[in-house]
Amino acid sequence: MAKRRMTRMPWEFVIPNLFAGGVPLADGAVSPMDDQAFASFYERTARSLWAYLARTSGDPALAEDLMQESYVRFLCAAQRPLHVDEGEVACRRYLFQIATNLLRDHWRRPRTSSIEDVSEDFFARSADSARSDSQMTLGPAMSQLRPRDRQLLWLAHAEGYSHREIAEVTGLGSTSVRLLLFRARRKIAGLLGAGRGRKI
Amino acid sequence: MLRTCPREKEVKGLVERGQWPVAEATAPELHAHISHCRSCGELALVASTFQRARAEAVGAAKVGPPSVLWWRAQLRQRNAAVERVGMPMLGAQIFALLVSLALAVGFAGWQARQGLAWRPWLEQLPETTMKHIDSGWNQMLSSLWSSALPGSEWNWMVLLSAGATLALLGGVALYLATEKH
Repeated sequence: MAKRRMTRMPWEFVIPNLFAGGVPLADGAVSPMDDQAFASFYERTARSLWAYLARTSGDPALAEDLMQESYVRFLCAAQRPLHVDEGEVACRRYLFQIATNLLRDHWRRPRTSSIEDVSEDFFARSADSARSDSQMTLGPAMSQLRPRDRQLLWLAHAEGYSHREIAEVTGLGSTSVRLLLFRARRKIAGLLGAGRGRKI
Repeated sequence: MLRTCPREKEVKGLVERGQWPVAEATAPELHAHISHCRSCGELALVASTFQRARAEAVGAAKVGPPSVLWWRAQLRQRNAAVERVGMPMLGAQIFALLVSLALAVGFAGWQARQGLAWRPWLEQLPETTMKHIDSGWNQMLSSLWSSALPGSEWNWMVLLSAGATLALLGGVALYLATEKH
C-alpha cells in the first residue's frame, strides 16, 4: 500500500509509451513506468547487461557497480526523449549506451585499476577461476584487444546489434563501426584460431 | 581492405539458431561454404564463441533486487529536485546582498560628499539620549529623527528603508523569474 502511494509522488518520472501495455490516461498520455514495470524490465535486461560489462571489462565486481549505476542513471534520465514507437528495444539500447559510456569513463580515469593497466594474464586468471570453457577460450583473446574493440565485438556478436544500433550505443559513426568491427573480428578470429590450433 | 561475403547474414542466422558448428544436415551447402570462405569462417567462429560466452555469462550473472535501484534513483531525483529549487533561492540571496552592498557604498559616498554631516549628531547622541530618556521612548525617537537630518532634503533612514525594500523585492523578483524558468 505504502509502495503504491510513493510511486505517485509528483516528481516521479514519466516515459510516455515506453512500455507496451501502458494504460492510456484521460488526456491521451500513457501511464508512467512504475516500480513493477521497472522490475520487469530489469529482470529481462540485467543479466545481459552484466554479461556485457563483465566480459568487456574483465572485472565482475566492476561490472556489478557499473550495472547498478547504469540502471539508476537510466531511471533518472527518463525525461530524455526516446524513440517511443520502439518501446523496450530503445530502452534496452539506451541502457547499453549508458553502460558503454560508464565503462569508457572508467577506462579514461587515471588510476592504477584502469583496464589499460591490467596485465594481459588478468583475463586468463579470471578464466581459470571461473572454470568456464568459453572464458578460457575468449578471455585471453579479449585481453589482447583494445577496450573499444571488445565492446564492438560483444555488441555485434553477443547482443546481435546491427551497425546502426552499435553506432547509437557507442557514439561512433556507422561507417566507422563497420570498419572497426571488421578489423576487430579479423583480429580476434586469428587469436581464437591460434588458440584452438586452427588456422582461419 | 574491407572484404565481406554476401552470405554473412545467412551465416549469422545459422549461428544464432545454434546450428553451427553442429547440425550440418540442416544446411549442408552453407556449412560447406563456411569451410571455404574466409570471411564467413571468421564470422562463424567469432559469433559462435561470443554466443556461448554470453549464454554462460548470463547464466552466471548474480543480479541484485531491482527495488534497491528503484529507490536509489528516486532518492537521486529527489536530491536533484531539491538542488534545483535551492538554486534560485541562492541567486536571490546573492542578488539581495549585492544590492545591499551597492546601496551601502552609495550611501557612504553620498555622505562623504556631504561632509559627514552625521558626525556631530553621533557625537551628541549620548547627550541627546540622556536628555530625552525621561520624556519617553517616542520623544527619543523623534529626537533621533530630527537630529539625524543632515541638512539636505534626503533622510537617510528613508533611504535605507527604500534600499532594503528594493533589495528584498529584487531578490523575490529574481527568485520568481528563475523558478519559472
